[in-house]
Order: sequence, then structure tokens, then C-alpha cells
Amino acid sequence: MRNLKQICWPGAGGDLSKEKKRLPLIWLGTNTCDGDSISFLNSADPNFMEIVTVLFDFRYLHFVMAAQGDMSTSVLDDTLAQDPGNFILVVEGTVPTRNNGLYCVIGTRGGKPLTALEAVQEFGAAARCVVAAGTCAAFGGPYAAHPNPSESKPVSEVLDRAVINVPGCPVHPAWIAGTLIHLAWYGEPELDDFHRPLIFYGETIHNMCQRRHYFDSGIFAAQPGDPWCTYRIGCKGPVTFADCPSRQWNSEHVSWPVKAGTPCIGCVNPGFPERDMPFFKHLPDVNLPGVTVNANRIGAIAATVTALGIGGHFTAGVLKGRMSKKIRKALHPPGTGFELLETTPAAELLSRIRKALLDKTKE
Amino acid sequence: MRFRNNLLGIRIKGVKTFRHNRPLRVMHWVLAPAALSLMASGLYINKPYRNFLFKNMNDARKTHFMAQYFFGLYFLARGYYAIKTRGYRKLFPNSGDIASLPKFSLYELYLNKKQPKYPKYNPLQKLLFIFFAVLFPLQIVTGSALYSTGRLQFLSRPFGGLGNTRTVHYLGAVGLMSLVAGHMYFALTESFSKLKSIFNGYFTPK
Ligand code: HEM
Ligand code: SF4
Repeated sequence: MRNLKQICWPGAGGDLSKEKKRLPLIWLGTNTCDGDSISFLNSADPNFMEIVTVLFDFRYLHFVMAAQGDMSTSVLDDTLAQDPGNFILVVEGTVPTRNNGLYCVIGTRGGKPLTALEAVQEFGAAARCVVAAGTCAAFGGPYAAHPNPSESKPVSEVLDRAVINVPGCPVHPAWIAGTLIHLAWYGEPELDDFHRPLIFYGETIHNMCQRRHYFDSGIFAAQPGDPWCTYRIGCKGPVTFADCPSRQWNSEHVSWPVKAGTPCIGCVNPGFPERDMPFFKHLPDVNLPGVTVNANRIGAIAATVTALGIGGHFTAGVLKGRMSKKIRKALHPPGTGFELLETTPAAELLSRIRKALLDKTKE
Repeated sequence: MRFRNNLLGIRIKGVKTFRHNRPLRVMHWVLAPAALSLMASGLYINKPYRNFLFKNMNDARKTHFMAQYFFGLYFLARGYYAIKTRGYRKLFPNSGDIASLPKFSLYELYLNKKQPKYPKYNPLQKLLFIFFAVLFPLQIVTGSALYSTGRLQFLSRPFGGLGNTRTVHYLGAVGLMSLVAGHMYFALTESFSKLKSIFNGYFTPK
């Protein structure tokens, strides 16, 4: 497989230093476990060192700053003053909005807390483009899950500009590095309906999976570790867009969940993790007012209620003699006479006459 | 002009009466096998290790994907026909039907012996057609998003992703299956004469 450098700079033969001017880049961590930063640090080719020193003018990454306090956050203000409209903003994590965003403070500015909400809105408005790294920033993720006490939101919902979503829990190093490099050198990559770069999220896992033939022929793993299709134990591959089966993980190209014998949990999906849980069930739980039920259980309950309803109606029909009457009617030749049809002028007239007579007798 | 046997709401018993015309009967018999195979194959896709009706996932999915075209075709044809002939007026409840619903429910709950008769569909049937009119397109939209994951991705946006779309498709299927079971129960037990009319178009009020 060719590495990212060779794909992005075929002309430079992989020598990054020969290429264009480095774009300033700020990476803010909001409500996040920092998994995306850690994953990003594992980028293999180009590696983190090359990204920071050669590819980008990497100004701020909360996770690896040598400085601290005002010394570190002043870098943000300097960027805003020197390079407005020129820097790339990457946000990792959801943005809590409750109490004006006080549930996530990313530093101090002039002795006052600088909330994630303030920072994302301020830097987001001034950035050349905004990238949401990881599922939390892209779609909300665990921090915005029910009941969401901090009223957390994905980045796109606190900004009124387009955001490039690069989801994943964590994001694959090549997805985020590739998107950033594409932005710097070729502009915005082609995006799908959820604003994800098609180069990485263009096809479902299921359609690229090595175990797909087991799916088609109906050979299913009964438990994790079995070497067959993991559909039965809840694989979300059919509804998940990502290139894990071909790109793979662990410093790239080594393995991925299904290859390791566990079902895909759909970590790049909007609604992850709630709408993908329980991970080992085919369909997720559904929140109804007051109760949470698995979708398949709803199916079983509906089937039971329907069977009881029809069975009950039929039994009552037999006991009340209506069924036998119907059978007799079907076997005998029709009688003569008239019948009155409801919701018609005749029925209307009759009910009026009846009402008038009733009123008369009352008088 | 076929004899519809309905003079302002008075109907003569014992006379062969026209009920369903040919296009409606044809459409109904395109829908029925398509919907039943969608249900059977859909249930298999939901739990493929049950080994019931289909040999494997490939067979079930092929059946589902074949039937979906007939189902979609039916929906388009029926929608066009309902609008062109203004048949939707007979299909969905009007204020008279709503007013008559308690009376009909009392009969169906065995609290009233006399069966109320209606020009064509009873209020409960009309209510059922409302559900069909909502659930059919819902199944088509969610099913299309699941079918053509790439090109029709925009269809899964309102549901918040393909996973949710699949859950909605499943729940829609559950609702539809319950309603169809009810529809079939009533169709088979209400009146043998009316049951005949979906095959040959005519029934005889008795
Ligand atoms: C009577 C209407 C229908 C019923 C009862 C029905 C039922 C189902 C059920 C129960 C599933 C399994 C969901 C799961 O647990 O994964 C399913 C899957 C699916 N249905 Fe339907 N469906 C109907 C109509 C349609 C239509 C009209 C389309 C297409 C336009 C469609 C396309 C699909 C697709 C693509 C899948 C996913 C198959 C897969 O995972 O490979 N369905 N359907
Ligand atoms: S393991 Fe998952 S992604 Fe692979 S074929 Fe089975 S269901 Fe599809």
C-alpha cells in the first residue's frame, strides 16, 4: 500500500519539505477523553513529528503543550490576531452549552475562565475551515448521550458555518491526518450527506468486509472469537460507513475489530453509542416515555398483542354465535329486503326523523 | 355502468353488486404477494439464524430486493390511481366515518348485535388505510436508504443515520405486520361474499 505522503505528493516523491507553505493549525480539546489526540499521535506515515514540524504550523494541541497556563493559551490569541481566516481549527470533543458553557473550561484568559463554547465559537468564526475530529465533536457521542446533563452539542450545532466531520471513537490517524493534509493542499475533500470525507467514509464496512461471504451464505459467529460473520452478535457493519476493513488499525494496516473476532460497534455513526447499544444485539434499545426497550422486544410484544387480539376476537365471535351465523349466512341463498348504509343521506335523514320523534315524545 | 346498488344509502339485498373494479383488484394482487414476501424475508434478515423459509441470507435478501420493486410499483400505481379517480375520498375517513366509529366499534366489541353497513369501507378499514398510507412510503424511504447506501444516503439524514433508519424500518415493519394480520383476519371472517369481491369484483348483500 502506498502511504499518505506518496498519495498526496506524488510529485515530491514523498519529500514533504519541498512542498508549499505550512498552514497554521489549532487543535482544541473540549469535552473529550483525548482518545482522538492519542490516535492522531499514532499516525504512521506521515508521522506526528512530520505533521507538526513539516506539514503544518501546528500552534496548539492541548494534549502535548510544553507550556501551561496563560503562556499556552496566549498562542491562541496570537493566532487570532496574526492569522485570521488563515488557520485550520480542529475541535476534539463535544461542546457543553449549559450555564453558558461552564461545564468545560479549556483554560483562562485575562484571569477569567475560557469556556469551550466561547473558544469554539470565537475561533470557529475566524478559522479558514473547521474540522470536528472524533465522533463526539462530529455528532455528539457519549457526552451528548441521554440524559445529557451538560447539554452538550456537536461542533456543527454551536457554529453557523459548515464543519467537516471526521468521526471515529477514536478517529483513525489516517482519517484525520488525511483530511487535514487534503485541506491544506487540495482544499475541501468531497463530503457525504453527513459532511464526512468520502475518501474515508464512502462505503459501508459490510460491503468491504472480509467475512462478507459468510454473511451471504448464512454462517454466523455465535460468540466473539468465532471466525465467521458477526452479524448475529450485533455487528453494525451494515449501517456503518468507514474503510476499516481495507485500511485497518494498530499503527495502520494490521487488524480491525471483525478481523479480531468482535462485531463492529459503529463508532463513527451519528447517535453512537446510544443508538448502537447494546453492542452485541442486532437492533438497538429504543427510549419510550418511561421505559427503554430493545427494538426486537417491541416486535415480540407487538406480535403477542396482535395474536391475543385476533384470538380473543375470534373466540368471542365463536362464543357469541356470530361466527356460526356468518357461516350459515354464507351457505344459504340471500334473503330479500333493503339495508340502510351508514354515513349516507338516507341514514342522515332517518336519524333526523328519529331525533324529531324523540323530541316530540319528550314534549 | 355497473350496478353499484346504492340509492342515496339504500341497498337492495340479494342482488349482485359491483364492489372492486379490475385495476384495483390487479393492484391488490400485486401488493399482497409482494408485501407477504417482504415480511417473510424481512423477518429472516432480522434473525437469519432461525433457518425458516429461506436457505440463507443471500436468498432472503434477493427475495426482499425483488419484492421491493413490486411493492414500490404498487405504491406508485395506487397513488396515481387514487389521485386520478379521486378515490382517496372513499379510502380515508371523513367526519361521518369518525362520527360512526363508536357505533361500529360497539358492534365489533360484541356490545351491539346489529351490524352497521357502509357504502364501501367501514370506519375501521378507513383508519387502517391511513396507517397504510403513512407506513408504505415510510418503508419505501427507509428501505431505499438501506438498499442504496451510497447514492441514497440523503434519505437517512432525517432519521439521524443509517442505523436509526434500520431501526425505523424494523419498527415500521412490525406495525405493518400487525395491521396486515388484523386486515387478513377481518377479510377472512367478516363476510364470505365480500371476500369473493376482491377476486371477481362482485358481492351479494345478504
Ligand atoms: C411491507 C413492507 C416491508 C417490510 C415488512 C419490510 C421488512 C423488513 C425487515 C423486518 C427488515 C430487517 C431489518 C433488520 O432487522 O435488519 C428489512 C430489511 C431491509 N429492507 Fe425491508 N421491508 C419492507 C419494505 C421494504 C422496501 C419497500 C424496501 C426497499 C425500497 C426495503 C428494503 C430493505 C433493505 C435494503 C433491508 C436491509 C437488508 C440487509 O440488511 O441487507 N424493504 N425489511
Ligand atoms: S462481520 Fe459485520 S461487516 Fe462483516 S459481513 Fe458480517 S455483518 Fe457484515
